[in-house]
Amino acid sequence: MKTWLVLFRKEWLEMIRNYKVIWIPLAFVLFGLLQPITSYYMPEILKNAGNLPNGAVIKIPIPLSGEVLAQTLGQYNQMGILVLVLAFMGIIASERKSGMTKAILVKPVGYSSYITAKWTSAVLLSAGAIFLSMAASWYYTVLLIGDFPFMNVVKGASIFFIWILFLITLTVFFSSFLKSSGLVAAFTLLLSILVTLLTSLLGKWMEWSPYQLTNAAATLFTAGRIEGPFLLPLITTVILTVLLLSLAATRKSNS
Amino acid sequence: MEVRSLTKSFGKHVAVNDLSFSIEKGHCVALLGANGAGKTTTLEMLSGLQQPTNGSVSFGDVHKGDYREYIGYLPQHPVFFPWMNGMEYLVFMGELSGLSKTKASTRANELLERLGIADAGKRKVGGYSGGMKQRLGIAQALIHEPKLLMLDEPVSALDPVGRREILELMKLLKETTTILFSTHILHDAEEVCDDVIMIHKGKLAITGSVSELRRKHQEDVIIISAEANLGAWARSIEDWNTVSKVKSTHNTVEIYVKNAAEARRQLLAEIAERQLPITSFTVAQTSLEDLFMEVVGK
Repeated sequence: MKTWLVLFRKEWLEMIRNYKVIWIPLAFVLFGLLQPITSYYMPEILKNAGNLPNGAVIKIPIPLSGEVLAQTLGQYNQMGILVLVLAFMGIIASERKSGMTKAILVKPVGYSSYITAKWTSAVLLSAGAIFLSMAASWYYTVLLIGDFPFMNVVKGASIFFIWILFLITLTVFFSSFLKSSGLVAAFTLLLSILVTLLTSLLGKWMEWSPYQLTNAAATLFTAGRIEGPFLLPLITTVILTVLLLSLAATRKSNS
Repeated sequence: MEVRSLTKSFGKHVAVNDLSFSIEKGHCVALLGANGAGKTTTLEMLSGLQQPTNGSVSFGDVHKGDYREYIGYLPQHPVFFPWMNGMEYLVFMGELSGLSKTKASTRANELLERLGIADAGKRKVGGYSGGMKQRLGIAQALIHEPKLLMLDEPVSALDPVGRREILELMKLLKETTTILFSTHILHDAEEVCDDVIMIHKGKLAITGSVSELRRKHQEDVIIISAEANLGAWARSIEDWNTVSKVKSTHNTVEIYVKNAAEARRQLLAEIAERQLPITSFTVAQTSLEDLFMEVVGK
């Protein structure tokens, strides 16, 4: 346990020294702010974009607060995932490549504490980033568009975060046995796109899919309560996450 | 440390084959072998980084299990976090080895001082020279006062000055710690070590103390060079009973003899009698280097 804390502290020190603690939340807050602001100013933006004949009338209804927040989740699912996967793709792969893993494991350190310390710090940082960003998005939505209960934002963000948790675990899992960080990112992104696509295309067959959690969170924002599958995807996601993490933490590679 | 029939294979390739030896407490042991002989694989198995395919390693009272806290290990190419400074790195490694933070920092200060890189402690490791990195690597291996220090090619990558410094350092360290280090340079082994383990293609070739090997395998040799080809004459002396082996190349003859004094007298008389046009006459001893070449060459 003591070595776990030492490793955990080292991860944070590293993330501070390479500014990940700053730029990841910053990027997320940006994505979070973008949605309410563009929704609100969309008519103005279109008007100023020119290219429209004189006298053209633009009528775009300003979306409801809940819809804006649900769209924010869409932003995270595109840009946010990319940022997180790129930020954490090398979390183990790069240390294995440089030989640092060996230097650490030659000390009396358990391989599982080495992996879980990394996983925990990645999860905590992305949780911080997403909740901060969600709060910012909520604040601007309330300011520009209309009131929305904060508790629902917290609930929705928590449900959505379980999907992100799954993706981070997937990144850590690939990172634990691939040597190239690029491959880690490629595999993780491909798999996440595949899950997303299949879930949208084959809704009926994919009720267990972790991606359903995004839909659950979105309906919580738009309709005020969760519609569609929730418990089933929650259970599969938790099981998959635990499975991937334990595979990553027990699988000790020779190289 | 006792090593019994240690074997490691990667697929079909057998990197280390049935290796058994033991390391006595307080000794300095060199693991010698040509490139690719399996030195690094052996050390990594001893340090617990790789699982042996077969065989066992026991350390002191620990027979099966984790003895990593008793060993310090310097990898062949020590790596560090470039964003840490030397001091932070040592404290980090010390804490991983189970020291408390205060104990780790006292040890780190001590070691930086002792290894002569005290001024560099506050600098980022990214800006260190090769020699300094090697020192920092040794420092991190020593941080928890291990019972056995394992160094993988500690001097191979260094320039002559750095290498001299590290060898001097090892001489100091062997007063207090058991050392096992791998090298392909025999001279280094002869200089600092008590015992030598030579491996060739993953197999144990020769093991013993340096002085014992010298006594057993060292021969007196007389080297004669001349202005003319001595081949014919060399063959004529092969069956003398003081001569054990004769090697001749062009104008030089190497004569391995059983009794240097006796052989020298006879050879000088022979040379005078035949009026051989010699340019030099050297009485020497074979080095362990020759033994090594013999082992590797066979």
